[in-house]
Amino acid sequence: MPKLRRSEWYDLARDLNWNLSYVTEEEAFPEEMSNHYGITPNERWWGWDEPYKVSYREYVHNQHGKDAAVYSVNSVVARSRMFEELDPGWKSAIIAHYGAIALPEYIAGIGESRMGRFGRAAAWRNMALFGTLDETRHGQIQTYFPYTLLDKEPRMDWAHKALHTNEWGAIAARHLFDDMFTANDAVSTAIQLTFTFETGFTNLQFLGMAADAMEVGDLDFGALISSIQTDESRHAQQGEPTVKILVENGRADLAQKLVDHMFWRSWHIFALLTGLSMDYYTPLEHRSHSFKEFMEEWIIKQFLDQFRDFGLEPSWYWDSHFVPELDWYHHALHLGVWFWRPTVWWNPDAGVSPAEREWLEEKYPGWNDTFGVYWDTIAENIRNGAEEKTLPETFPIVCNMCQIPVVTPAGYRAGKLDSPLPHLLVHEGRQYVFCSEPCKWIFEQNPARFAGHTSVVDRFLGGEIQPPTIPGALAWMGLSPEEMGQDATNYAWAHEGREAPGAAAS
Amino acid sequence: MALFPIQGIYQDDFVVLLVPIDTEDPMTVVAEKIAHHAAGIRVPPHEGELRVRYEGELLPPDATVVDAGVPPMGVLEVVAT
Repeated sequence: MPKLRRSEWYDLARDLNWNLSYVTEEEAFPEEMSNHYGITPNERWWGWDEPYKVSYREYVHNQHGKDAAVYSVNSVVARSRMFEELDPGWKSAIIAHYGAIALPEYIAGIGESRMGRFGRAAAWRNMALFGTLDETRHGQIQTYFPYTLLDKEPRMDWAHKALHTNEWGAIAARHLFDDMFTANDAVSTAIQLTFTFETGFTNLQFLGMAADAMEVGDLDFGALISSIQTDESRHAQQGEPTVKILVENGRADLAQKLVDHMFWRSWHIFALLTGLSMDYYTPLEHRSHSFKEFMEEWIIKQFLDQFRDFGLEPSWYWDSHFVPELDWYHHALHLGVWFWRPTVWWNPDAGVSPAEREWLEEKYPGWNDTFGVYWDTIAENIRNGAEEKTLPETFPIVCNMCQIPVVTPAGYRAGKLDSPLPHLLVHEGRQYVFCSEPCKWIFEQNPARFAGHTSVVDRFLGGEIQPPTIPGALAWMGLSPEEMGQDATNYAWAHEGREAPGAAAS
Repeated sequence: MALFPIQGIYQDDFVVLLVPIDTEDPMTVVAEKIAHHAAGIRVPPHEGELRVRYEGELLPPDATVVDAGVPPMGVLEVVAT
């Protein structure tokens, strides 16, 4: 029987929109699930049209093929010694990735399914259904792959464990993702998850990570990330038609605000995860670009194109706060993560051997004067056998928005901030601390949404962490001594190029 | 005497720290308690007298947080003079 071309039936099968008569629109699309932002009635959303089309039959066929391919690679690699032979820094990068990303992918299925039910056009709900299935797959595959590595690296367990703990990075990830999709309405999720985070950051990040993984010889992770990226690039397209509807209906201001809010938050978590991986954990011989170059060539260029295409403006903090942070923010976070290494579930790779420092200075002129000097003092303590001086006796202050330590003094020292002081705000009698003007701005836009949350430091001061000591806090974070991060190379970097390393790597 | 948390910044360090002090500590002791977490740890110890700055003003060396009106979790900078 001859088949119709897809274009001849697709719109008819997809556009199951109708005017409601048994219930009101408000009952079918409650505001907290599907804020219309003044664009009513629903017919005004029915022009929503995704750029890349796929039928359910095609979707299932494609996904089956992807799973068959990537699980085959995993099965073969599991019987090899490929993982054991990977660079320690790269291992740290993927252990950190699995813990921070695997469960959030699964939770993203909640955001997708909310759009799949409460999106205001049938075409959108159709795409979100595929997105729900995608995210379920990503959650499963990114917990299964590390599971197959458990006998080689017990901390792969954190792929499932991390988000269930009070580890500070896990709290930061939960806070961000709850804001972005778990506790967000369908319209805002489309703008903030799919347009800002996925189209803007993760789709490109996954392309880069897949290439890096193949470069370092990690076929398992490379195949996994490539497979996920192909899904991301499809379901991320939900953002674009949603922005178009908002702009066409005179709500460019809302789209702008939602993007401004989530771009900044995405940037900070991205700097923490990807910034450290690219500039410090990836083996030097396999680095094809610096994190700043990647941001400039991929993320910034794409966002500026998007802003122009949709009649939006670069965020108000673009030139004043975001661009300057590219030079210093992730370097400060790396120093902090390494110094507070017992508080993370991976082994931070200092990545500051003489050759690596030369590379950092080339990519970030002035790095040695701004950040190298900290590592000089740390390296000297290591060479003098004073390891205890390289471990924390207290906590950093944590931002009440991004939940990441406040490193404003580093920005001041790098000449990128006017003051080393954190940003303070008293709201209804409680003092909040922020790492940056944009984090404070996001809070001020909607204090009721964020005011009830307590940071790790708030919880420590509130008596939730007992005993109120570093060991007490580490136990509270779910970190046993075996799980706490250690220097990835047993301090080999501190002795490199020096004579008679008394405490050289074993 | 009571435990009193402040946010401390040691000159040239990279991060803001949670530092427990005592309400009766003079600023000379407060400066030492903040410096303990950074000087010789990540930053070479500064030469000269360590002073504490709060809201842009150097506090008297013998003042306490109570004398200076510093609230819990106030931000204190340690600077070498």
